[in-house]
Amino acid sequence: MFGKRVVLVSMLLFLAVMLGGCDSATPQSPTVPNIPNEKSQAGVEADKAASPGQDTMTMTVYFATKDAANLIGEKFVVPKNSHPAQTAMELLITGTKDPTLVSVVPTGTKLRNISVKDHIAYVDFNDSLVKNNKGGSASEILLVAAVVNTLTEFHDIQKVQIMVEGKKIDTISGHMDIGEPLSRSEKIIKKK
Amino acid sequence: MRRFRSALLGLLFLMLFLVPQVGMAALNDNILEANPAVAVSTLKTAISLPQTKLLGNNQLTNVRWLVHNDAVEGTSKLRLVIDTKDAVRVSSKLDGKTGSQLVIDINGAAVGKVDDSVTLDGKIADKVRFVKKDNNNSQVVVDLSTMIEDSNYKVFTLKSDEINKKTFRVVVDIDKVVPKIEYNFTAGLRNKVIAIDPGHGGSDPGAIGANKLQEKIVTLAVAQRVQALLEKAGAKVLMTRKTDVDVYGPNASAVEELSARTIVANKNKADVFVSLHINAFTNPSVGGIATYYYQKSKYDMLLADCIQDNLIKSGGLQDRGINAAGFYVIKKTQMPSVLAELGFISNPDEEKLLSNPQFQQKMAQGIVQGLDAFFAQAAKKGGGL
Repeated sequence: MFGKRVVLVSMLLFLAVMLGGCDSATPQSPTVPNIPNEKSQAGVEADKAASPGQDTMTMTVYFATKDAANLIGEKFVVPKNSHPAQTAMELLITGTKDPTLVSVVPTGTKLRNISVKDHIAYVDFNDSLVKNNKGGSASEILLVAAVVNTLTEFHDIQKVQIMVEGKKIDTISGHMDIGEPLSRSEKIIKKK
Repeated sequence: MRRFRSALLGLLFLMLFLVPQVGMAALNDNILEANPAVAVSTLKTAISLPQTKLLGNNQLTNVRWLVHNDAVEGTSKLRLVIDTKDAVRVSSKLDGKTGSQLVIDINGAAVGKVDDSVTLDGKIADKVRFVKKDNNNSQVVVDLSTMIEDSNYKVFTLKSDEINKKTFRVVVDIDKVVPKIEYNFTAGLRNKVIAIDPGHGGSDPGAIGANKLQEKIVTLAVAQRVQALLEKAGAKVLMTRKTDVDVYGPNASAVEELSARTIVANKNKADVFVSLHINAFTNPSVGGIATYYYQKSKYDMLLADCIQDNLIKSGGLQDRGINAAGFYVIKKTQMPSVLAELGFISNPDEEKLLSNPQFQQKMAQGIVQGLDAFFAQAAKKGGGL
């Protein structure tokens, strides 16, 4: 009887310690966007801006600079939901609000599906991604890098496989080799 | 029995709280931490963290790895991250005899409870082994899948990061190296085998300008002029297409089409491969010339440099420079290769220029002069690797 009480008390104590400890060290929900890269400035800001109880989320979506040479991350604050990666892709498709930046996704492109398996995001667009692409390697580089870099902002996404109409594609406009999952490219991001 | 069950419950609780954290920590780190802020060991002598006390009970606590395939540049590297409780000093060297083993000595931490060996991707490195030295030293041996050189890897340390819940880390980056082919370039264009690839063609028009000029028409026109100039200089020219056709066939997949172009160059053992393209972007004011390379050897960048230089001298358009890119045709060809973008068809002024035979001739001259400059400089490098 006595032994049982000790166990119970210690269980409670243990619980209290664990819960207390967890308040300060609660792991980020994997669905909350966060910048995996320690060098990314935007991420640190997003981290700080996120306060408990708020039901918005901040995400970084990449668009091209006007000279077609680089990408810049634009931050969006949107209502919190359970599918932030999908939301990020929708924001990428909708386009930039920043007059100094240029959207990179061809007109008519729609997101068909996005799923994540083993830290690889499989992002599936309709065929406008290819058919309405105006060509040019500059456009292709910026589009591929914007998709990959926007999705790899999320902790649980390390690589991205771009798909069209449910199938893997090898290239979008005949320059880039995108048949395999791609990782983030830091070099194309313009550092402010 | 009941006590046992309570204890089990407690353990379960512990796992519930701890496991997600461990999981997240592992994830956080996996992503590329480009340009390490703390210390970079290029040559492989010992690096130390100044002002760090090396504590006696320091251990290696966790190992993880991933292969990073850069979306833009197409290059691959394997990143191995070893967590340590506290700061360490590291030094590293390639095994002198074979170059196929990377040995990293960690001073200031015991091996601890990490696995004795971890299997890696099998393409860049086969496995990593942890060798116990003593309470304060451990050794990490990476069995590489291919021979690499000093410039193909780096080892650095990262400090603990409380915000992102990361401990001290030792990071090992190993580049994927392409099997090297012996080159022995001589100066001059005579008897050189040069593959010229006019971008797009047939069912694929490439980019189209506001005044309906098609990329495939311009690339072929310039390529034919390049061919004439090179043949006059005594070179043998391999054209991936001579007319407005698909290289593989009209109903081929995109990759069959691109692969057909690289096969022309690879099968005929071309000395160099030059793919000609015209750029496009949504903003019509963007213009200029850019040359892309994929670094397979020290010659790819040199070729891009020479061609870009002479295209700018010859054409006078804005210089967008040379850039590394994972383009299919320059990645899959075995010889030094470039993809040159001779202006923007989406820019009305440049579209007009690109349809002009005099400008096309200038571009062709720029490429031929660039090739001549390349062979002269490559020969000076002494050929070989």
